[in-house]
Amino acid sequence: MEHSDPTKVAILGAGRGGRALLDLLHQIPSIEIVGITDRDPAAPGLQRARTLHIPVTTNVPDLIGNHGVQLIMDVTGNPEMETYLKAHKPPTADILSGSASRLLWKLIQHESKLEAELLQAEKLAGIGSFAAGIAHDINNPLQLILGLAENLAEERDVAAVHEQALDIIEAVKRTSAICRDLTRYSRRASPHEDVSVSINAKLDEALKIARYASSFHDIEMLKQYQPGAAVKGNPDELLHVFVNLITNAVHAMEQAGGTLTLETRVLGGQVDIRISDTGCGIAPEKIPEIFEPFFTTKAPGKGTGLGLYNVNTIVSKMHGQITVESKVDQGSTFTLTFPHAQPAGEGSP
Amino acid sequence: MSDFNSGFFVGGEACNGRVLVVDDEPDIRKVVKMTLQKAGYAVLEAENGEKAIEVINSGENRLMLDVMICDIRMPKVNGAEAIAYFRSNYPHVPLIVLTGFPDTDMATSFLRQGVVDYLVKPVEGEKLRSAVARAMEQRELARL
Repeated sequence: MEHSDPTKVAILGAGRGGRALLDLLHQIPSIEIVGITDRDPAAPGLQRARTLHIPVTTNVPDLIGNHGVQLIMDVTGNPEMETYLKAHKPPTADILSGSASRLLWKLIQHESKLEAELLQAEKLAGIGSFAAGIAHDINNPLQLILGLAENLAEERDVAAVHEQALDIIEAVKRTSAICRDLTRYSRRASPHEDVSVSINAKLDEALKIARYASSFHDIEMLKQYQPGAAVKGNPDELLHVFVNLITNAVHAMEQAGGTLTLETRVLGGQVDIRISDTGCGIAPEKIPEIFEPFFTTKAPGKGTGLGLYNVNTIVSKMHGQITVESKVDQGSTFTLTFPHAQPAGEGSP
Repeated sequence: MSDFNSGFFVGGEACNGRVLVVDDEPDIRKVVKMTLQKAGYAVLEAENGEKAIEVINSGENRLMLDVMICDIRMPKVNGAEAIAYFRSNYPHVPLIVLTGFPDTDMATSFLRQGVVDYLVKPVEGEKLRSAVARAMEQRELARL
């Protein structure tokens, strides 16, 4: 398992298959991607490679011949490429092509489908804990509406009727907003291509959702947003990450209250997002385990143990990093770091 | 139903009893107050358990308070803690729970602690008034 030198891999073909391969292999430390190639300069895999600072080339002979490549992964689907490789590959390199590369592509697709399933399962399990918050937030305006309507049936003062009718309209709007937020959150993450997501707005949206999952009573909110913070990714998945981290932070302060700090910062082409609490903290020996699947400190039935695992999966997929600082009884800070998204959209190299 | 001969006077008007409403939502306090004032009750308000304890311990309220209506999900001393406190320190003041979240286990535990009624929002005015009237009857018995 342990290699001192990473395996050098060249990827031929930068369509959807090539890009998926790139995304996957890029996360594995024992693999070094020496380059990726495609005939189409606008191929999605080439664009992704540029953001990851992986060499892009159109020169196949140079790529496979001159960089000490140990494994050539051919996902061009082009029979001529297969023939060419058989004749020209360096003797020390292995080739993965034809049906083998198609099988690999299928496995990757299957894994990404499983990943999406896991995400959705965890999200839906979490929504169960929203019941108390939703009931509270819907029944309170309903009480107001009912009380006012009962009063209106007897009210003689026109000005009072007017004012109470407006109160009812406001209460109805508040109630319907709850349903809108929740249905948006509970739907399956849309598989659309990555877009530029405004982080500050996404954090605020997550805050609204997290309020259903946990009581924010006795919690002070501190927001330190840098305007214009944006990252490239799937907005639904990013929302899920933030809801998860905010909910954890609030749960950590359940006993004694505290301060929840949300901070965004753009610095040197990077976006830092910090979610801090002043809660119970994580024991040092537990920290290495928190991103493992099925790790939970919550009571049976309270947590799926998949929250931070999914957070980590999404963050890695977005080419970000997540770090934790925590002190028992003082609190925890989760820091997410992503490449800052170009607001105008990338594309031209 | 809400006519009690023990009525006293608040601000020159006949008063059927003094009710303390504990809820963190101003809207709820407003509408409960509106509903109960129509039946001749004087309504005091508190936004959380801590404030409620302050109100109940201040001046004449200690003697004059007849009924409490209390929410569960609240900041500071939450409803469940407040209810336990009130039941042990003011057992003579009947208590009605008015909550947005129906929870059978919680309801059973409250009723065991001697809570008069467990009402789930939204509750009709008539139902609320009759719950308060029942609580007033208990209060009268406690005075005997």
